[in-house]
Amino acid sequence: MQYIATFFTHYDAVRFAGDLRGQGIAVQLSPVPRSLSSSCGTCARFAYEGDPRELDRAGLEQLVRTDSGRYLPAIDNR
Amino acid sequence: MKEKRKIILAGVVIGVIAAALVWFGNPKNMGFCIACFIRDTAGAVGMHQAAVVQYIRPEIIGLVLGALIVSAVKKEFLPRGGSSPMTRFVLGAFVMITALVFLGCPLRMVLRIAGGDLNAIVGLVGFAIGILCGVQFLKRGYSLKRTYTLPAVDGVWLSVVQVALFGLLCAAPAFILFSEKGPGSMHAPIWISLIAGLVVGALAQRIRLCMVGGIRDVLLFQDWTLLSGFVAILVAALAGNLVLNAVFGGYFSLGFMGQPVAHIDGVWNFLSMAAVGLGSVMLGGCPLRQLILAGEGNSDSAVTVAGYFVGAAFAHNFGLASAATAVAEDGAITGGPTAAGKLFTVIALIVLFVVAFLNTKATAAAGVKEPQRA
Repeated sequence: MQYIATFFTHYDAVRFAGDLRGQGIAVQLSPVPRSLSSSCGTCARFAYEGDPRELDRAGLEQLVRTDSGRYLPAIDNR
Repeated sequence: MKEKRKIILAGVVIGVIAAALVWFGNPKNMGFCIACFIRDTAGAVGMHQAAVVQYIRPEIIGLVLGALIVSAVKKEFLPRGGSSPMTRFVLGAFVMITALVFLGCPLRMVLRIAGGDLNAIVGLVGFAIGILCGVQFLKRGYSLKRTYTLPAVDGVWLSVVQVALFGLLCAAPAFILFSEKGPGSMHAPIWISLIAGLVVGALAQRIRLCMVGGIRDVLLFQDWTLLSGFVAILVAALAGNLVLNAVFGGYFSLGFMGQPVAHIDGVWNFLSMAAVGLGSVMLGGCPLRQLILAGEGNSDSAVTVAGYFVGAAFAHNFGLASAATAVAEDGAITGGPTAAGKLFTVIALIVLFVVAFLNTKATAAAGVKEPQRA
């Protein structure tokens, strides 16, 4: 399943991506899609098959599953 | 692709509005200038006594309220704050003062280029270098820490102040100062300026327009989406200026000399905009973006705007702002950056690098110690 994670700071995104890459998960950092948020921060896009709650950590703002252009909330720490 | 098309279209509208505002009476190459307009408003309420730059600019009021209205309608009004507010206040003041050494914010820099002002291209190079430096800190962990959700009242204060300022502009009591000559005396009719501000504020909120964010995204992600908006503004304002120039004359002049509200000192155009670029990356957005975020309820951005106001007052009270280059009757060239302005620009660059370094070091250290939630 495809996910997009948003963060409170750019560095949180960098650390998150580093963690996932350490687990062998390919992650792409990019600007947050406008359709997801009015924030102009950094998001992480990745595919993940496990329980998304395992991805919750300090600095994570929001995690959504993407499905046919829709965003399905998985974690919301705002 | 759809997002980029929207951004380009909005950029075209903003560029045309900027050119039109000059035709309606704003100073040349100054359809919009967040730095100049905040400086004018600060002067109007007596924060500084530079008699030629005092006027409550409705464009600023419209930008904030336009963002507030559209974010409320779209359910994106989100009161939040608590991300190093005092650091943001100081950075805001530094960005404003160095913008006034250049004589314009990043948006006006683009509009100056659209008017043929080649000095602004020197500024653009400095601006990009400043952003590049900021991006290096971002990559290494620079952060002013996270924001937190706040009560709604905390997110509307800057908008409330804008409504009060509009009341003062319309009522024009004796204690509000209005320039009788100079750039402050040149303005489009109030309602046209206000509507222009509202439209641009709403558009900027929808497309997240940010000159700093545009260049930052190119450097960080090779993503040109945001920057395409400013390219569209440049092209549309250039086309608007060329049309106005063909019909009325005086709206486009290619070169370094004789540019409206600009100086020709390349070194200080470069360095001051480098400071604006670096400071704006550290703040997370250009002055226009800070106004829009403040309208959306971000009190950190509202604090940054407060820093802009104080910086604008300091810039004129302490002789830090530059004067436009002019040629006297005897041929002598006057104007340009002041000695105090040059000294301040150097100090600003040093302080910005130190603040960036300290907040990078602090974040990296915290990252090692911070326990993970899951």
